Amino acid sequence: MADIADIHYAGELAWCPGCGDFQILKSVEKAIAALGRKPHETLLVSGIGQAAKLPHYVRVNGLNGLHGRALPAAFGAKVANEALDVIVASGDGDLYGEGGNHFIHTIRRNIDLTVIAHNNGVYGLTKGQASPTADIGFVSPTQPLGVIMTPFNPMTLAISLGAAFVARSFSKDIDFTAALIVEAVKTPGFALIDVLQPCVSFNKVNTYQWYGERAYKLDAAHDPADMGAAMAKAAEWGERIPLGVLYKNPRATYMDHQRAPGSPPLCRAAPAPEQVEALAREFY
Amino acid sequence: MNGQLTITIGGAAGQGLVTVSHLLLMSLARMGYRVFATQDYMSRVRGGHNFMRIHLARRQPRSAPDHANVLLALDNRSVATHGAALRAPAAVILDPATVTARPSGGAVVIEVPLSAIAKTQGSKLYENSAALGALFAALGLPLDGAGQVFKDQFAKKSGTILEDNLAAARAGFDAARQRQPVPAAPLWKPDGKGRALINGANAIGLGMIAAGLRFIAAYPMSPSTGIFTYVTARARPLGIVSEQAEDEVAALNMVIGASACGARAATTTSGGGLALMAEAVSLAGISETPVTIANIMRPGPATGLPTRTGQEDLDFVLSIGHGEFPRFVFAPGSADEAYYTAGAAMNLAEKYQVPSFILGDQHLVDSYHTVDKLNTGKVKPVNHLADPGKTAAPYLRYKLTKSGVSPRAYHGMTEAPFITDSHVHEENGHITEDPVLARKMAEKRFAKLAGMEKEKAGLPVWHGPKNAGVVFVCFGSVAGVARDTVDALTAIGVKAAALCFNRVAPFPAVEAKKLLGGKKRIHVVENNIQGQFERLLTARTGIKTAAPVRRYDGRPFDTAYLINALKETYRWRI
Repeated sequence: MADIADIHYAGELAWCPGCGDFQILKSVEKAIAALGRKPHETLLVSGIGQAAKLPHYVRVNGLNGLHGRALPAAFGAKVANEALDVIVASGDGDLYGEGGNHFIHTIRRNIDLTVIAHNNGVYGLTKGQASPTADIGFVSPTQPLGVIMTPFNPMTLAISLGAAFVARSFSKDIDFTAALIVEAVKTPGFALIDVLQPCVSFNKVNTYQWYGERAYKLDAAHDPADMGAAMAKAAEWGERIPLGVLYKNPRATYMDHQRAPGSPPLCRAAPAPEQVEALAREFY
Repeated sequence: MNGQLTITIGGAAGQGLVTVSHLLLMSLARMGYRVFATQDYMSRVRGGHNFMRIHLARRQPRSAPDHANVLLALDNRSVATHGAALRAPAAVILDPATVTARPSGGAVVIEVPLSAIAKTQGSKLYENSAALGALFAALGLPLDGAGQVFKDQFAKKSGTILEDNLAAARAGFDAARQRQPVPAAPLWKPDGKGRALINGANAIGLGMIAAGLRFIAAYPMSPSTGIFTYVTARARPLGIVSEQAEDEVAALNMVIGASACGARAATTTSGGGLALMAEAVSLAGISETPVTIANIMRPGPATGLPTRTGQEDLDFVLSIGHGEFPRFVFAPGSADEAYYTAGAAMNLAEKYQVPSFILGDQHLVDSYHTVDKLNTGKVKPVNHLADPGKTAAPYLRYKLTKSGVSPRAYHGMTEAPFITDSHVHEENGHITEDPVLARKMAEKRFAKLAGMEKEKAGLPVWHGPKNAGVVFVCFGSVAGVARDTVDALTAIGVKAAALCFNRVAPFPAVEAKKLLGGKKRIHVVENNIQGQFERLLTARTGIKTAAPVRRYDGRPFDTAYLINALKETYRWRI
């Protein structure tokens, strides 16, 4: 059982003052503490970017890999050691741009992961270029005439691929995000929480105020089991942005298909010499 | 008969020549013959021209010649391609209903109504068994030599499939006998010691499993796919998880994630796929995560010759990955060697926490040969994880040590959490930009080289007399033909030897200098145009080499190719 003091990192955090990442970090700390597992029983996985620094800032296990590749690394981690709660924390560029192909296929695998997308619509680490979720017209040093590409909608895509749990939050509401993370970790299968987050340095459009005027929380009238309703809510953007659990699709996870119930984690098992001998006999 | 015989089985893709070849190979191995077989196939699923060349010899053959004695021609193109090069005792087995071409020269033509026999048995599929029966007749082998192989192959099938196949084989045998009562190319009596038959793909897969493989992720790519499918077919009862990744980038990142969490993990690919893995190789390097990568070469650049053989990726594998980190690269010379090499590659990746490559080629993975005994007990998972007592908090995953190797725990193994990191990091895995630590961490990674260089696995092996005048030097699958050529030269009174390299990184420079020092006629034999291995050898040893022998048309060497090269160099008349 960990409380926040056990997992809190007291060192310097390399984010800009006012960044939404600080809020998401707090939500992650709260969620891990609420889940009540020991620090070594959680693994935070990330790629590269501002958000991807997060595993360095929580005193649990961390795997900080390559840009865009958090999901395949997290997949391998969960396969190897099912006993770990594996949580991915990375940005919109990392998960939806560089790692777009992995985003699609990791959802299809329905591996038991919780993925927190720090979605600020802009590339922070490389200083201000548009991300896949930037709105049309967003002007940046590399899109001087404004973005002309259709924005990437992670919510509709995840729902269409049958993700087990699809939710959206706003970084400022720390407790709300923390509660969603707890629910996502407890949900078997692939869970995505897209956390809308202002970038105070490079995104002058999608500010705290901008989100504050538009975001609203889904109420009990929304049925997350209804795919049609979920898609309609997922497509809502612009004047009003729904927050909360958009979609739930409980189904067998990747490891349910791979392993008999009660099998030891891969990391603790090994084949017997007799099994190897039996394989060799196939050649005679 | 001088104790050697070669059989070519040719046809279009999809005609079943792989089935016939496999049944024949298994039968020969069980009867006690020693064989080596190469596969030559086009990058297509139907049509074209494919063939299997099966070479039998009293001494274990390690390569196949470019010609044959007996040809089973499943189509006209096989007669046109192979008919003229047949050598006595020459025979061609064909079905006159489908093959109208006839070979020039004096080969005995044995017409066997394969399609008619199959029709009588009720399915076109029985043509393969009828052809096998005809081959047995031509080789003077008793048909019961194939009986057990048929039982193993077909016993699990429903109904009368086993009986029908046996009947088709008998009918093919009888028809061939009737046509040619005296066996056209009789084989010598085998020693009756049943042998194992293995190809490089299966050997690498089995070696990985024996060394404790728990997870494999790969994207299919010729000619590496055979390893992936071998492991996958056997994964479930062994508790191994196998995943077909969306691309090679995902495959190696999955493997790294799994390894960091305690599952021994490997991937398989070929040059183009390895190119996509480059960044992840570098991640394995800095994060000191053990991974094994089987890269099975085919000629490039780009798509190149997808189903052909080559050794063009040596430089690539030696240098792949940005930044600097040590690695193992092993290039086994045969299928049986590949089994032990795969095991060593897996265990040494763990021991030194480095990426470890198995560098094979199409010729290695697709060629079969017999082995007297596969010593499975020689490959075991060797545990290189830290003692739990050494991982208590504050556990330092990247602790600076004299050997460069830090006590390794996987995530969740110890109560002390830690970070596996892609940045330059502190001993605990946290990002740092400190210049002193950056230098120390680079030196730590390269301190491992001293231990890695002393490892015994895959050191070069000398074949032939120590006082040989001519020495062939090679790496990887060229070892087979180099050894056969040494035997062939010895038989005609030429003192030759072969020095076959397996481990190419860290390069065994001390051993190479000791073995090659003072030799004048050193011929480096390799399947690429630039002489990549020759460059490596001379750079690392200062040894002077003589005329190289290089082939880069996608085909493997044979002994005649090597002997001809010497004849040209030394103006021999032999």
